[in-house]
Amino acid sequence: MTEGPLLEIRDLRVSFGPVRALDGVSLDVKRGPFGIALVGESGSGKTTAGRAVLRLVPAAGGTVRFDGQDVLALRGRRLREYRRAAQIVFQDADNSLDPRMRIGTAIAEVLKVHPMAAHRLAGDRGGDRVAALLSEAALDPALATRYPHQLSGGQRQRVAIARALAVSPRLLVLDEPTSALDVTAQARILALIRRLREERALAYLLITHNLAIVPELCEQTAVLYLGRIVESGPTADLLARPAHPYTLALCSAVPEVDPATRRSRIILPGDTPPAGSQPGGCPFHPRCPLAVDLCRVTVPPPHEVAPGRRAACHRAEEVLGGLRPPGTPAQLAGGD
Amino acid sequence: MKLEIRGLEVSFSGHAVATVGELDVDAGEIVGLAGESGSGKSMTILAVLGLAGTAGATVTGSVRLDGQELIGMSGARLRAVRGRRVAAIFQSPSLAFNPVYRVGRIVHRTLRLHGLSAAEAGQRADAALRSVLLAPDLLRRYPSQLSGGQLQRVAIALALALRAEVLLADEPTSALDVTVQAEVLELLRELRDERGMAILFVSHDLAVIAELCDRVAIMRAGQVVETGPVAQVTTAPRHDYTRELLAAVPRLEVRP
Repeated sequence: MTEGPLLEIRDLRVSFGPVRALDGVSLDVKRGPFGIALVGESGSGKTTAGRAVLRLVPAAGGTVRFDGQDVLALRGRRLREYRRAAQIVFQDADNSLDPRMRIGTAIAEVLKVHPMAAHRLAGDRGGDRVAALLSEAALDPALATRYPHQLSGGQRQRVAIARALAVSPRLLVLDEPTSALDVTAQARILALIRRLREERALAYLLITHNLAIVPELCEQTAVLYLGRIVESGPTADLLARPAHPYTLALCSAVPEVDPATRRSRIILPGDTPPAGSQPGGCPFHPRCPLAVDLCRVTVPPPHEVAPGRRAACHRAEEVLGGLRPPGTPAQLAGGD
Repeated sequence: MKLEIRGLEVSFSGHAVATVGELDVDAGEIVGLAGESGSGKSMTILAVLGLAGTAGATVTGSVRLDGQELIGMSGARLRAVRGRRVAAIFQSPSLAFNPVYRVGRIVHRTLRLHGLSAAEAGQRADAALRSVLLAPDLLRRYPSQLSGGQLQRVAIALALALRAEVLLADEPTSALDVTVQAEVLELLRELRDERGMAILFVSHDLAVIAELCDRVAIMRAGQVVETGPVAQVTTAPRHDYTRELLAAVPRLEVRP
């Protein structure tokens, strides 16, 4: 079972009461080094998708396969082993680190929970491992004796990454790993992820609302709206030529320093509607600047719009061909 | 000049955390204050609001509103300025609203505290909500029933309802989705262009500053290291630190 993707998600569904938080999501995470981005606004279901993959929330349907084994059916020892192999880094390291636990202890604890044969054989002492992990995350090993509040936000997020790496995972779920940081700290964390993915052959699912951090980290991108993937494909192609109006809007929202690359804004009216009150027809039509009568009636099926590219939009081919909302120049997402 | 800052220094037990030699914000202008976490941006805002003292800081120097000195002003006189003439919005709108009261009650109470009659408060609240593109019936909801973007709009509406002349905006979009950020930035532009508001906008993100502001001051470790028109500072930065901040901005274009 080494040929297929590392993680295979098919028709994954998650419900919270009557609310369909995730409504049939399918995607593949290839073996590392590989990155796939899950992009969407608050309420799109991207965080729920990451948690369902890790069995942190129960799935209501669909399948998740990790290295060929059925993740949703795992129990006992095998589930523990999966939870070692698939780690998560949360948005807010303030809340994911115990404020009363020294940094070194927090990392050593993970090593205790998931004792690894390799370390025992090497006669590793916990302290050496912790120091090595901190260095790997570009932190001074002396920080091991500090408490979380004595570190900056960026340092705390490095600790969270070091802790996730402690048990040699093969899959990382990075849930908005830089959203709580300023751009300077963000740039350093992104550089760290880029380095680690090569050094450790990591595969990861990067969950973010900001498309701008995707190109450097992810080969593939999936755009989520109201629990469904509305567009997916290779990142470079998808950003250069979006096929879904929602992707266009997300691209247009990214602020740019350089006026020459600044895009015309497509302001989407209103917020994401509350999950559970989905409109008829295409779920995006009430906010879509390109909606036509068909969109109000019929749900667009996801279909291939170009090699490796899928989109769920009645007008995907037109958008791919350069159709833009009135008042928007066709050259929208590309920087050229 | 609407707001004039001269020789402002905020210090804790003799240790200066923010020093601003000269910074002006005119009516109909958005001035950015950019820098990393801990560079002193928020302390500058608190000092302008006369709130740094409550955080235990010592404030010296001068902050003038239409020529009137705010530093050292008595509490009662300052209250007539703060909120009413100089309004502020913060990073986390959900922390700015008491969760146990309906949004409308918070809005009305604030307007009443600033001297409006009940009838006036009701009218102005409705009108202000409409002008930030929110339905007035949102006032009947609790803060937890509104999104972050909606709450930030309500906070801006409150400044509008009081006819504030200066808006201090401390990272007002940093906690929002990029799509919602785009809407709030558009709204701030309208306040500048249509109401002639003077806006001091704090952000760590030079891309946001570049899109929104007319002029910018770059702060590092409590000091202003570079100031100038936004286009000049972002295209021809003179200070290494400005270059560093610019390099940190993620860009959507796919690099070859």
